[in-house]
Parts: sequence; structure tokens; C-alpha cells
Amino acid sequence: MKIQNSSRISRDKIQSFFKRLFTVHCSLFTLFLLFTDTAHAMHISEGILPSNWAAFWFAIAIPFVAFGLYRLKKLSNADLSFKPLVGLMAAIVFVISCMPIPVPTAGTCSHPAGTGISGILVGPAISILVTAVALLIQALFLAHGGLSTWGADIVSMGIMGSFAGYLTFRGLRALKANLWIAGFMAGILADWATYTTTSIELASGIRGDSPFMPLFWKILIAFLPTQLPLGILEGAMTAGMVVLLYKKRPDLLVKMKVLKPEEAL
Amino acid sequence: MELFSEYFKKEHMLSKVDARVKILVSLAVLSMVLSYKGFALPLLVTILCLFLCIKIRIPLRVFILRFSEPVFIALVIVLIKFLFSGKEIIFSISLPTSHFSLFTLTGHRDGLMDGLFIACRIIGAVSVVAALGFSTPFTEIMAGLSWFKIPKSFIEILMFAYRYIFVFLEDAFVIYNAQKNRLGYSSIKRGLNSFGTLTGSLVIKAFEHSQNTTTAMIQRGYDGNMPLLRHKPFKSSELILSFLFLIAMGVVWKI
Repeated sequence: MKIQNSSRISRDKIQSFFKRLFTVHCSLFTLFLLFTDTAHAMHISEGILPSNWAAFWFAIAIPFVAFGLYRLKKLSNADLSFKPLVGLMAAIVFVISCMPIPVPTAGTCSHPAGTGISGILVGPAISILVTAVALLIQALFLAHGGLSTWGADIVSMGIMGSFAGYLTFRGLRALKANLWIAGFMAGILADWATYTTTSIELASGIRGDSPFMPLFWKILIAFLPTQLPLGILEGAMTAGMVVLLYKKRPDLLVKMKVLKPEEAL
Repeated sequence: MELFSEYFKKEHMLSKVDARVKILVSLAVLSMVLSYKGFALPLLVTILCLFLCIKIRIPLRVFILRFSEPVFIALVIVLIKFLFSGKEIIFSISLPTSHFSLFTLTGHRDGLMDGLFIACRIIGAVSVVAALGFSTPFTEIMAGLSWFKIPKSFIEILMFAYRYIFVFLEDAFVIYNAQKNRLGYSSIKRGLNSFGTLTGSLVIKAFEHSQNTTTAMIQRGYDGNMPLLRHKPFKSSELILSFLFLIAMGVVWKI
């Protein structure tokens, strides 16, 4: 009888221990999601990447930024208002990426990237420039992203986000999709392309001697609960923006070559 | 917007120092922190930068806000490295129970050390950039960047963007408050629609502002290029002090 009682007590103790452990682990995981979330998950913070990886991402980003500057020079020679417009688009990307959006699965807030929008409106080359400018101001004055991770952030948000948004939008429009669907898919894919690239950059930068793929999958899965719904939110935001422009100022969409003149009627 | 450096006390020990010297020293220290294999240099740099921020009287709230994100990221990195990376196992627990295991939680000693090393690097690097941002006004940083042969077009766009961030933030909050007062965010669907409308309105405003700004600037003689602050010659005392400081940092880096 005594033995039965003592074994039941010890089983209860073990069960309660594991319950507590499980609760602690769940709390840790929630905190983990909360941290990555409030921490502006799209930006790689200053100092995360070692110098060799920081230099590698800079080497990839620089030619794209240079091409963006070349396009800017060409376009601003033809239209003096183009340079101020690009600066103002950078300000909008900055403001959008400072906007908190509620993420239901994590019970907290995150932020959109806004590069899909600029990719659609001013094209990927200029959009990369726009993102680079917004990222530099955020790194210098808000500690979102960083100077050493500027190259990596340009690659993930600027290059991948802009090209994914632009190509999706143009591809779907070529397939006769309506503006809302094309904008929605462009926003989603721009967001998800950004976050996948961020995961690759993070995993390669922090893995040390560990193998790359397992860490990459873990980071990708950790971002999943926030970035999946956030991508959908960003898609809806991009679609809403394109549709509003179509209703209120179709001439702007024609000017930016998003629509053909006959489509704006 | 008090997060931006223009809103802090303008007269302090670093306000007279040439922005180019500050940028050069910051970049040199940043590269040392990033390439250093250990804890000493990042911690030393963090302490020095914290001391500097206290000396130039950065408000505590702003300071905490600036460091909250990097500190959280550093904690997450430590957790990731501790739980998912490494070979020397400290503990291993099957969850939810040892009899019915869904997954195993494993802590690694070398992973923890790696995580702490990266966390120190993050805090050290963020401290350097924060000290630069806190001590130097935006226009001076822009003028400094032009000396480094950063393309002028890029700097001009930076200046346009910086000027209009404040305008758009104000516009965004006015629209957001108006939408909120009209129950624009009362459900997920309405919230999404409202956010799309807000973004679209900002884009329309950007187009209108760009046209108006260009017209106003052309009337003042704008020909596609904006004038930047002119560079004064370097002060030899600043250069010598910076050089000595970098040598001291270099010694710690080498050790």
C-alpha cells in the first residue's frame, strides 16, 4: 500500500514537473515569437552578421544600387520631378515599415515591408534605391537594421522584395488578372520572398560550425506564425493601394507605366 | 520624432567635432567589433558608447527605445544558438513527457557561448551606430557622406526622404485617427481596407508633394542638383586624437 502511494506521489510529482516545464517552454516560445515580432523581423540587426558575410551581402547589393542610380539619373534628366518623387517614395516606405499591424496568430504587432508597393509603382531598379535610402535612415536613427547589415537588408527587402512584387504584378497583369488580385499576390510574394531571404541570411550568418539547412528551417519555421498572416495583410494593403489609385488617380498609374492609357479609362 | 538627433541638446562635447571624423572613427570601430573573436572589445565599446550617450544627455526613454530592439534580437539569438546549435550537450528533455515524446529540448554549452558572443557583437555594434546617430545631425552626416564620394543623387534622395518622413508621419496619423474614429479598424476586413486606403492616400500625397516641391524648387533655381554643406578643412587636433583612440582600440582588437 505504502509502495503504491509513494509511486503515485512520485508520478504526480513528475507529471507536475513536466507540466511546469512545458508551460515554461511554451512561454519561452511565445516570448521568442514576440521578440522576433516586435523586433521588426524583416530587418537584420546591426552586428548579427560577421564581417565576411556582411561584406558578401554588400558585394551583391552594390551593383543593384548602382544600376538604380543609373536609372534614376536617366529618368530625372527627362523629368525634374522624378528625383523628389523617388525621395518621397522612400519616405513612404519608411513610414509604412514603421506602421504596426496586428498579427492575430502571435497576438502582437509586426510591420509590412512596403517594397512590393514601390516595386509596382517605380519598377524594381528604382525600388531597390528607395529601399536602400529608407533602410539607411532607419539604421542610423532608429536602430532598425544596421550599417554593417545594410547590404543584407537591401538584398532581402530591396532586391528580393521589389523583384518579387514587380514580376508577380506584371506577370499576373499579362495573364489578364484584375488589379486587386495582381496587387494582392504581389504584396504577398514580396513579403514572403523578403522573409525567406532574411532567414537564409540569418542562418548563414549565425550558424558557426553547425550545418546550414537545419538552422535555416528552424528560423523559417520560427518566423512562420507571424510572416504567413503578415504576408496576407501586406497583400491586402498593396491591393487596396493599387485599387484606390485606380479609382482616384488613374493618370498616376499610367504615368508610372503600371497601366496602359486605354486601361485607365 | 524625438528619436531623431535634431531634437536633442545641440551643444555637447561632440557637436563641434567634424562629422567626417566621427563617421571614419565609427566605421573603423564597427569593423573592429565585427571582426573581433571574443567578448572584451564589444563590451569595452559598449561601455564607452554608453558613457558618451550619458555625457551628451540623451533622454533615458529614447535610449531604452533605441536599444530595446537589438537587445531583444540578441536574446533571441542566444536562445536559438543555445537550443538548436552546438555539440556539447548540457541537458536534454523529452517533451511533453519522457514516455510520450513529441520533441526533445536540448541545451548546448558551445551554442550558448556562440550565442553570447554574437549578442555581445550586436550590442557593441549597435552602440557605435547609436553614438554616431545621437551625436551628429542628419545634414552633417549627409555632408560627411558626400566627402566619401557617395553618389550625389543618392544623398539628394536621402535628403528628400528625410524631409518628407515627418510630413508623411503626420499625414498618416491624421488619416489613421480619422479612420479609427469612423470604426475603420473595428474588424479585420475593415482594418485591411482602411490600411490599403491609408497607403494609397499617402502615395497620392507623395505624387502631389513631389510636383509641388519641384515647382517651388525650380522657382528657386533648381536644375536637378541640390547644394550640400561645404567641407571645412580637417582640424589636426581632431585627427591626432582620433588616430590615438583608434590605435588604443586596435591594441585591444589585436589582444
